Amino acid sequence: MQENTVFVRKFNTEDISPINENEVWRYAGYFGKTYKIESELKKAFEEVKEELKDSFYYKVCFRRMARNCDDLSFMGKSKSLSRFLCDSDEVIIFAATVGVEIDRRISKLGKISPLKMTLANALGAERIEALCDAFCGEIAKKMRSENLFCTKRFSPGYGDLPLSAQKDFFALLDPSRKIGLSLNESLLMSPSKSVTAIFGLTKVSTENSSRKCENCDNLNCEFRKQDTK
Amino acid sequence: MNVLDYVKNNLTYLDGGMGTLLQNQGLKPGELPERWNISHPEIITSIHKSYYDAGSNIICTNTFGANCLKFGSEELELIIKAAVGNAKKAREESTGKQEKFIALDIGSLGKLLKPYGDLDFEDAVKAYAKTVKIGAKYGVDLVFIETMNDSLDTKAALLAVKENCNLPVFVSNAYGEDGKLMTGACASAMVAMLEGMGADAVGANCSLGPGQLKGVVEEYLEYASVPVLLKPNAGLPKSADGKTYYDVLPDDFSDTMKEYATLGIRILGGCCGTDPDYIKATVEKTSNITPKPVTYKNRTLVSSYTHAVEFTDKPVLIGERINPTGKKLFKEALRNNNIDYILNEGLRQEEKGVHILDVNVGLPEIDEAEMLKKVCFELQAIIDLPLQIDTTDITAMEAALRRYNGKAMVNSVNGKEENMREVFPLVKKYGGLVVCLTLDEDGIPETAEKRVEIAKKIIKVAAEYGIAKKDLIFDTLAMTISADKNSAKATLKSLNIIKNELGCHTSLGVSNVSFGLPNRDAVNGTFFTLALENGLSAAIMNPNSNEMMKSYYSFKALKGLDENCEDFIKNIEKYMTVSAPVAVQVTGEKAEKGESELQHAVVKGLKEKAANITSVLLKDTDPLKIVNEQIIPALDIVGKGFENKTMYLPQLLMSAEAAQSAFEKIKAKMSESSSKTVSKGKIVIATVQGDIHDIGKNIVKLILENYSFEVFDLGKDVPPEKIVEEAIKQKAPIVGLSALMTTTVPAMAETIKQLKEHAPNVKTIVGGAVLTQEYADSIGADFYAKDAMETVRYSAEIVEKS
Repeated sequence: MQENTVFVRKFNTEDISPINENEVWRYAGYFGKTYKIESELKKAFEEVKEELKDSFYYKVCFRRMARNCDDLSFMGKSKSLSRFLCDSDEVIIFAATVGVEIDRRISKLGKISPLKMTLANALGAERIEALCDAFCGEIAKKMRSENLFCTKRFSPGYGDLPLSAQKDFFALLDPSRKIGLSLNESLLMSPSKSVTAIFGLTKVSTENSSRKCENCDNLNCEFRKQDTK
Repeated sequence: MNVLDYVKNNLTYLDGGMGTLLQNQGLKPGELPERWNISHPEIITSIHKSYYDAGSNIICTNTFGANCLKFGSEELELIIKAAVGNAKKAREESTGKQEKFIALDIGSLGKLLKPYGDLDFEDAVKAYAKTVKIGAKYGVDLVFIETMNDSLDTKAALLAVKENCNLPVFVSNAYGEDGKLMTGACASAMVAMLEGMGADAVGANCSLGPGQLKGVVEEYLEYASVPVLLKPNAGLPKSADGKTYYDVLPDDFSDTMKEYATLGIRILGGCCGTDPDYIKATVEKTSNITPKPVTYKNRTLVSSYTHAVEFTDKPVLIGERINPTGKKLFKEALRNNNIDYILNEGLRQEEKGVHILDVNVGLPEIDEAEMLKKVCFELQAIIDLPLQIDTTDITAMEAALRRYNGKAMVNSVNGKEENMREVFPLVKKYGGLVVCLTLDEDGIPETAEKRVEIAKKIIKVAAEYGIAKKDLIFDTLAMTISADKNSAKATLKSLNIIKNELGCHTSLGVSNVSFGLPNRDAVNGTFFTLALENGLSAAIMNPNSNEMMKSYYSFKALKGLDENCEDFIKNIEKYMTVSAPVAVQVTGEKAEKGESELQHAVVKGLKEKAANITSVLLKDTDPLKIVNEQIIPALDIVGKGFENKTMYLPQLLMSAEAAQSAFEKIKAKMSESSSKTVSKGKIVIATVQGDIHDIGKNIVKLILENYSFEVFDLGKDVPPEKIVEEAIKQKAPIVGLSALMTTTVPAMAETIKQLKEHAPNVKTIVGGAVLTQEYADSIGADFYAKDAMETVRYSAEIVEKS
């Protein structure tokens, strides 16, 4: 992988892990035992899944860079990111999206059924995470041939890395042209089910906690509370 | 020589990639290549020259991202000036003997337009206009709009070109493997829109190698009446030994381009990864090919942001329900700015299978231009059917056409001179398939012959404006047979002549024929069949009419337009039964202790059951009693469960929707008996400016409505002024504001500030993912609600106090 080239990777549905329903329910704000979910509610979710089955495309653009290069100097302002990448000489930054159609469907369902809207929104959140997992998994596998390991991923807004770092990510990746992802004035991304993130390449394997939220500082977050309970 | 004259008689060659070559010369990622026009003019000139030397007729200036979102206006002017200068220098220096042209290159602004992004359509047009004006000033031969991956963005760019210069303009879009743009448009939809607006050549570039674009190429060649261009990548980027390369080499690239040239592609070039060798090879292999003539395609198309609808022998159904005529609730919705009501009319018709939606929101007391523009915009945010813009107000027609994403139907023009002078320029400018009513200054002629005369006149005048016959569709005006027994005959006869002798498509507002008669559906269905047999191409109709739908499916099957009668078999069943209210067994339902059956249905979120039980109860129970003694207590059970975390958001919503379906029955009953509606109080809610996520706000709205609050939902990305204005207008005691991002909380603060200034008695509730009590306090909100239930509780308190 040449440094400084932005690559585009398009995934097929089969390349992404199947829908993790527990995750979807969690994103939809259901923190109870999923076996207790009423059949009516399950039915609504099945309908949402069916309605949305052709609404996703899976695209990532990414770039491999030296951690200390000038273009990444914005990272120095964030202590938590610096700490996060302290063992990495190189990093991979990427932008990922599952496309605009899911946003349309969410808007549409918002007019028909707020319940289905909420479930669709949760499904979209689960899908973009699944895409990021698929992408990072693939890179991790490739990196083994160079005897490198991947850290977890870190996004603008995590820790003390300000949301304004999105601008740096966008300047480095040109995701508008590469994968149709654009950044709004208020630093929201469009399409909304999108992620930008960075992860480090290390010589030693880092312990990956299965708990996603553990390292996050947002102690009041309901998701974190549930995750680390 | 004009570039269009050249293209007419020759295969024309574009240049190849620029970005990849600049990177080889040391351009860093993140560095803006347009600046190199000034800092490295010799490199830019030499690249241009190498393309001319390789045989390119047209080279594109190095201005892909030269726009005012990236550069200040002074720098922008300097960059474009330098870029055109570099191109001109290359043209002078090249020894190539071919005709040489310079295109002002325009790429996307890189921002998604509203409703999915935050860039307003008019702001996009203005931004493109700046680049166009500067480019035209410094002397280019044409404009090349390229790599556009969104239909509306493409429209904004083309409109800016058309409004700010007289140069020829080529438009090229970037398609994915699925043959669609990133935001969903297929090639035929783009052809419909771009030809309608007067693009001089259309086609595809970037994203894929030449081989993968075959489907897109074929679709363009099938639909386009203007020359088609193709500028593919050299395949896909790969990496080996630390180097990036593209996997299609000049020899293979040019072989495929040669194949496309024989198919009919007239303008050939390369995009990412290609260099002068690719162009040279392509020129060498194709220069002996006699160019395939560009033929006129007599195909009538309208389009949305995803697909085109073609008018053929298969009848097209145009849903008529978005229209206030004779509809009390619809009028009320228009007056109250209740867009959701209108959207639901659209959604229901989409579900019934119409192909196009007619949109008429004309009402004397509202600003029709503003409303039509807004409704079309909101419809296009959630429904991908093409729209028929239906208005007699020319200002409204232009406002809607201008922003419409695709090629719209326009309803209507008529044979009056003045009317044609107003409507045709709009159709010429924005594109459109225009419905032509066969009436003129003397009214509607009684005879078919005279109606045909008017049609001929309209065709002639349209041609003077450069509008082709295929973009006219004639409505010979169905008049009620209850007033004149021969009126249907005249309508059908003129229809027949216009279709078969003048060769034009036709449409009718079918149901007018039965006005004043009982059981109109019966007549409508038969008339529809007769009209179809006489050459009707499209019907403006009510898709809820079983008779009409039966006629439609039967006609298609009988005329050999339905392979194996598949459509008929699949669909006919649902139109055979008259829908009668389902009888409900009220007794025998298991309810929890102390719970009524309705309560049980609401708590468990059983939508249909809640509605049915309510219908039965309404026969002998006071509606308000049902609300207060059954629905509200049920909602309280759920609400408490939610607050105690024994129930979660999805369950709360499911119950809320069940309650809502019960409320609908109650509202219908109350409006029948015209008793006062239950309203606990008014609340204005909005997602604040800059924020385009409204999921949380929509949830709050539903729950508030459940508790009988009258909710005025202003939508998302709402400016502070508008929220203040609505709060004052509605005399609402409460305003609810939602913001998702830390970056949009300042807009929330500003809204609160303005409310305090202009409507000091209004209480503000704030909520959203990033908000906390401290945050809410710091921006002066009266209440921080962490969820929908808290909003209800607080609002109820406020209303009780006041």
